[in-house]
Amino acid sequence: MTKDELKAYIESNFSGKLTALDTGRYDLLFETKKGDLVELARALRDDESLKFDYLCNIGAIDTRERFEIVYSIASTVNLLRLDFKIAFSYDDAEVESVQTVWPAANWYEREIWELYGIDIKNHDDLKRFLLPDDWNQGHPMRKDWDAPDFVRFPEFEV
Amino acid sequence: MTEVGLRTEEFQVNMGPHHPSTHGVCRLLLTMDGEKVVKVEPYIGYLHRSIEKICENRTYHQCIPILDPFEYVTALSCNYVFALSAERLAQIEVPERAEFLRVIMLELNRIASHLIFFGTTAMDIGALTPFLYGLREREMIMDLFEMTCGQRLTYNYIRIGGVSKDILPAFVPKCRETINIIKDKVDEYEALLNGNPIWKARTIGIGPLSGEKAIAFGASGPILRASGVKYDLRRDDPYSIYDRFEFDIPTRQNGDVFDRYVLRLEEIRQSIRIIGQALDGIPEGDFKAKVSLKFKPPAGEAYTRIENSRGEMGVYLISDGTEKPVRVKTRGGSYNHLQLIPEIATDCLIADLVAIFASFDIIMPEVDR
Repeated sequence: MTKDELKAYIESNFSGKLTALDTGRYDLLFETKKGDLVELARALRDDESLKFDYLCNIGAIDTRERFEIVYSIASTVNLLRLDFKIAFSYDDAEVESVQTVWPAANWYEREIWELYGIDIKNHDDLKRFLLPDDWNQGHPMRKDWDAPDFVRFPEFEV
Repeated sequence: MTEVGLRTEEFQVNMGPHHPSTHGVCRLLLTMDGEKVVKVEPYIGYLHRSIEKICENRTYHQCIPILDPFEYVTALSCNYVFALSAERLAQIEVPERAEFLRVIMLELNRIASHLIFFGTTAMDIGALTPFLYGLREREMIMDLFEMTCGQRLTYNYIRIGGVSKDILPAFVPKCRETINIIKDKVDEYEALLNGNPIWKARTIGIGPLSGEKAIAFGASGPILRASGVKYDLRRDDPYSIYDRFEFDIPTRQNGDVFDRYVLRLEEIRQSIRIIGQALDGIPEGDFKAKVSLKFKPPAGEAYTRIENSRGEMGVYLISDGTEKPVRVKTRGGSYNHLQLIPEIATDCLIADLVAIFASFDIIMPEVDR
């Protein structure tokens, strides 16, 4: 299936669920509603002619106006690739876990929870793992968190 | 001796963060029942350098050396995946010569990485000699890199639009000589270990991973192929000029420690084939497209992935049309492979856990970023 055929297939079989964005891009990018996420993920994985069985990446984005989460998926059987994203406001920062569809999502979602402060619902292991255990300075990957250029550690100065 | 009144008790023990076989700083919290591992919980974050956040405050060209230590054993792949991503966003045409140089360097880097795997895995399992052999041959590849870009570990060589320097005239003959030596040495490595009864006892049937589980957990690269899934991004999601070269994609069926080791040695042979063909075909011409120092790709986003020696390496790059990227999300193969350790290492012996961990070839900077 070529890129155009995949786009046509998705537009006919997933109409209303996946909306194409940014068509000039190297890979296809779609947008979907947050409520449909898990159901859609399962449908993409189980569809016989797609079989998106492989989760490449989950990345969160802070656009300064809203949060976005983009899921990059691939099919090892049909050799297809696409991205789809969901968007939601800061006040509504929670999303359903896709761990039941792709177990690989586990740590990616944990990282989003930790670094962006987006709550992941139905995730079985939300624990801090990248930041120090006693970290209390917010969520560093958010755009309103300024990365300090130089930090002093007075306790280590002589 | 009577067994009445004897009982065992589970206890917890920390393996790492400074355990030599964790290749970096990874802490595995083990729940043990005697020698048997009941539960494994990986704890990461000791090497977290927030590369992604740092990249958001740098220009595109400055991101490349920042990304070098993302995965320092194959730093060229990190350079390449970011450069490719930016090139796809800005639709830059890369000169033919640069593509050939990139392929040669990336494959040399893959061989160097697999040689480290060969040495360290054997060392973790208890055979010290392969480590000396593997690093001896890797040294010759390091010399080739040093000759070309002046660096031996973090190269900053592949830039947006091409490579930073052209090769010297002496490079091609020296590279041919090196790959010919390594080709013979791989046979020697196999003669050294494959028939060794201790090696076989320690690796065959240890830590088997099924193909379905490997896909579900996002395993990639040699781990996936050792479990019988023929999936290689160089062929299945082609990038650069890999479609012009003839090479096989080796697979194995059992997905145990032994298969993962044999598969990587086979991959060294295939990389040698690719390098041989690429050396024959290097065209004349520019080694770098003209890219402004104030490089500003048009607004857009792309997920780019390449086949690294540790599996799929990807960058999700978002540009808003300014000099600095909005988001650089990095993805490394080890991140997924470390998630798999608790899945396949429960109920094995602690000595086998070391073998499994080594066979996954996990490198911690790629996990923590």
